[in-house]
Amino acid sequence: MAKKKDLDLAPSRKEKAGVGQYILTFFLLLYTLFAFLPVVLTFVAAFTDEKYITQHGFTFFPEKWSLNGVNAVLRYGKRLLTSYGVTIFVTVFGTLVGLLVMSMFAYSISRKDFRLSRFLSVYLLIPMLFNGGQLSGYIVFTTYYHLKDSLWLLILPLMVTTMNVIILRTYIANSIPAELMEAAKIDGAGEYRTFFQITLPLMKPSLAAVGFMMATAYWNDWQNALLYITTDSKKPLQLLLINIQKSIEFLLNNSNVPASARAAMGGTIPQYSATMTTVIIVIGPIMVAYPFFQKYFVKGLTVGSVKG
Amino acid sequence: MKGFFENTWKHRAHVLMALPAFLVLFFIMYVPMAGLVMAFKKYDFQLGIFGSPWNGLENFKILMASKATFIQMTENTLMYYFIFTAVGTLLNVVLAIAIDQCVFKRCAKTMQTLMIIPVFISYAAVQFIVYAFISTDTGILNKSLGMTTRFYSTAAVWPLLLTIVKIWKDTGYGSVLYMSVLAGIDSELYEAAEIDGANKWQQIWHITLPSLVPMITVMLLLSVGSVMKSDTGLFYQVTRNSGILYSKTQVIDSYILNAIFKNSNFGFTAATSLFQSVVGLLLMLFANGMVKKIEPENALF
Repeated sequence: MAKKKDLDLAPSRKEKAGVGQYILTFFLLLYTLFAFLPVVLTFVAAFTDEKYITQHGFTFFPEKWSLNGVNAVLRYGKRLLTSYGVTIFVTVFGTLVGLLVMSMFAYSISRKDFRLSRFLSVYLLIPMLFNGGQLSGYIVFTTYYHLKDSLWLLILPLMVTTMNVIILRTYIANSIPAELMEAAKIDGAGEYRTFFQITLPLMKPSLAAVGFMMATAYWNDWQNALLYITTDSKKPLQLLLINIQKSIEFLLNNSNVPASARAAMGGTIPQYSATMTTVIIVIGPIMVAYPFFQKYFVKGLTVGSVKG
Repeated sequence: MKGFFENTWKHRAHVLMALPAFLVLFFIMYVPMAGLVMAFKKYDFQLGIFGSPWNGLENFKILMASKATFIQMTENTLMYYFIFTAVGTLLNVVLAIAIDQCVFKRCAKTMQTLMIIPVFISYAAVQFIVYAFISTDTGILNKSLGMTTRFYSTAAVWPLLLTIVKIWKDTGYGSVLYMSVLAGIDSELYEAAEIDGANKWQQIWHITLPSLVPMITVMLLLSVGSVMKSDTGLFYQVTRNSGILYSKTQVIDSYILNAIFKNSNFGFTAATSLFQSVVGLLLMLFANGMVKKIEPENALF
């Protein structure tokens, strides 16, 4: 595949903007609206008056706005804070440890005269071709490892993935000159020092790409949480979102909410707007972080889907 | 052999560095593979996977006999694979070319950034966005068209709905890969074509599309390897796991997930699971073999 410097869209062909260009851009704009308007709707709905939604349905142009939903979630959502903590911990810990563990593996199997590396490469590849499936995993993790309701089951299953190791290995092989590591060795640096002080810092672009993809996977993982986590204080954001109906009742029906505040909300729980507020809170951080990582993950994607 | 051990000892640092990932893979990926033997057992919760008694092919007999569930979810899995792959690939390519052709670069870049966002929204969140559009009493669709369709209990509309959701979520992101190919095309090719009098459409037909063909081929072939796997969230979350819709929305993955929650029928489910894994393996080997023939450097192994 053609190597390219940066993913700055197309080659810079000089063209004048004819009518065709405006039509093209118009269609692109339509698609952009299709992609982005649903996201806008969540924001609008979060600030729409609850009664208005019940009567007129969701709309992009509500005539009555309200902060009740947002207030309800932000002021009384203690559980939201706990869940945020869980999600952040799992995401940060899993991504950092996963990156370290996978880069070490990738580094090891890319050493040329290391004979075991061929076996390790096959060992790495097999899980991509064949796996035990959800049911077997579920039974093994819960009845044999006794990890039901443990945060480990949110962290470990997403920690090492074949594709990510391949991306890192390809990057080491193609973009880090082997001479550099040879030179470090000649200068007397041990294996670990060579890896941590020479290789790892040079892997930054690939680490950013893989790290961002991992972080999103952790952040968005609902399935493991749904399967394994039962204690409220261990539930990540996605699970809170899945149980939102119950969660909102829990948030607002119990003593957290003073009667006066409930009266101010019109006596009812602003369900729709509170749900949408929670959705925003859950998807917000990724949407904010992603533009900064865009140029990295594009690269990672290219390497990953088609190696090299 | 002695040389091998010497080599390994010499590289003990590398062995040690590979060890953590090795162990994670072992306990998370390899041990559950052994658990697949339960497809040939009469599963007993008390005895566990390995202690349960064997019952030969009994589970598979039930599997084959159950048209209602097994055949149907396999059909659905295949149907959605074909729809998503066909429509998805087409739109990815069209979108990539459209963005590539657009001369207002900054504008195109901003639009692209916005188009990619949906891919980062989890299905747990997507279901609420979808709900806002299709709920019976408050959904935008019903309200603006004056309908009262009960989408969450009308199975027939779901193949279309799920396709739209899938397209919405993945197309912006999916086009990025093809754009990276387009960005690598030598611009002199276009200039030469222009001098020869080729118009835009001819340029796209004779230069742009042919240069995408290898990547399209590779992506299609590789996707064959995951025919049996589905985007579980799409079928489980977006449909709100509504039982009335199963005839059109139940895929193998969502069936297995449901079986785990219902804690029932583990023999049947294990047989399904093994079927999924084995077919997946065969398809993957086939796909890789084909890629190897056509584009050796893109083969996975």
